[in-house]
Amino acid sequence: MEPLEIFTVETTEPSEAASYESILKDIISELAFSRTIGRIKVRIRPEDSLFMMVILLRRGLPPIKAGEISDTEFDREHAKVVITVRDEKTIPQFLDRLWEQFGRQNVIQPERNIIEVAADLETVDKFIAELIVDDPEKTIRGRLADMAIRATPEGFRIRYHSLDSGKFVFVASEDTMQQDWIDEANVMLKELEGDDS
Amino acid sequence: MAAVLEPYIYEGGIHKHSLILELLEDLGGYLVQKTPASTEVTLVMLIPKKDVHLVEDLCKKLLGKLTPAPLTGTEVAVVSPTLASHHLPHSACDIAEYIRRGGANTNMIGLARGMGRRVALSADYERRLINEHDVAVFSFGTFKDCIINKKPKLFEGIEIPIVVTGGPDIRTEEISGADIYVGGIGRVAHRMRKGPELDAMDVLNEKVGEIVNLKRENIAKDPLAVLPARLMKEVQEQVPDILNVLTPAPITLQLDGMRVKLPYDRYHEAVGNIVFDEGFILSDVANILPSKMKDYILVKIKRRSEVANI
Repeated sequence: MEPLEIFTVETTEPSEAASYESILKDIISELAFSRTIGRIKVRIRPEDSLFMMVILLRRGLPPIKAGEISDTEFDREHAKVVITVRDEKTIPQFLDRLWEQFGRQNVIQPERNIIEVAADLETVDKFIAELIVDDPEKTIRGRLADMAIRATPEGFRIRYHSLDSGKFVFVASEDTMQQDWIDEANVMLKELEGDDS
Repeated sequence: MAAVLEPYIYEGGIHKHSLILELLEDLGGYLVQKTPASTEVTLVMLIPKKDVHLVEDLCKKLLGKLTPAPLTGTEVAVVSPTLASHHLPHSACDIAEYIRRGGANTNMIGLARGMGRRVALSADYERRLINEHDVAVFSFGTFKDCIINKKPKLFEGIEIPIVVTGGPDIRTEEISGADIYVGGIGRVAHRMRKGPELDAMDVLNEKVGEIVNLKRENIAKDPLAVLPARLMKEVQEQVPDILNVLTPAPITLQLDGMRVKLPYDRYHEAVGNIVFDEGFILSDVANILPSKMKDYILVKIKRRSEVANI
């Protein structure tokens, strides 16, 4: 799936779709979402106070495991473990996890990509082997919720959403949520999936 | 007969700008607002019509720019249904900024419960605050149905002229309660700087200008007992504490009065006791009221017909 290969906005008054599309594009680019979303379809019926949005996400990035981006060794005196991190972007999260586990006074960062931990090698190795430093999927979920809330017309505070293996369905209204709307949104999702389903 | 005053904005270097102020004083004009920004200064002025060329010549000499500012001396309320990110900073702030370029002072008002369709409403306090202004500009969104059928209930109780902005093209008559509708300024999530957006803003300024002119003509039929600009000068001279107020416009002119940004309790008597050369005091010719905005003083000047015996 290409980024934003399908981008459809439907409104009761066809001329209003273009301006809503521009709002959505601004929000998507602001949240740096354009490469994450594969297909998106939005249907708005202001007379029913109804906003529906279905999104197919492109396959997300796998979680970053600490073991895959770092090497561990004892320093010369065998007093502490030296961790060399190869992926610089993840160092802040990496440090956070180590501080949580070993205490702040036991973890220092003498150089940009080197972290020293005052503990024995086996404990550190064991901890790092299981450690997931960053989970892009998780942050995407948070940002997706943020995007949906920003994109909804103001005042539509009754919301339904579901996210299941990269398929996001969102319905918002000012009135009580109706099962028909959720069903309609699911039909939209099916249409969006097209032949891929 | 007082001289006819023309509103202008000067933008130029701060160096020697005091020459303009001296000339303005000699000519009998008024400085409405002065905004210095590092080495630049913006002066909003009322200049006697027949002497505008003198100020123009001096501005040229100082390499500054003098442009007509038809909205000078007005206070405009830019009202958005809420202060949420759906309206701010774009488009409501862009609208306010553009109106300020016309010389007006603007106040952003976000209603507490103005969002949505069925649930939108305004509070009595908000209506009174909006009514203190000369013109209210309501900034709405993208959908025709909302603007025509749902949002006009926010106009209930608003007694000042109402300008409505929104995305779609709608005729003003379709929106009950609106005096003018300007399309092409709906909900946007970016700063308005594209050609069509700026064109729509120009139309907005023009329409607000038309409404202000209508109001001015209406006032001219039965003129105010004192010109707001003259009153401003008297406040500055007779209530010197106003010079210590740090807001950008300590005295905000309105078409039929002004907002004095001093605490009402401590200063309303001093403001009411301002003496004019003709012998009367301000409270004889104006209503001095507590403003709904903070604890400021609102002065509404009476018409000549109301104070005929003075």
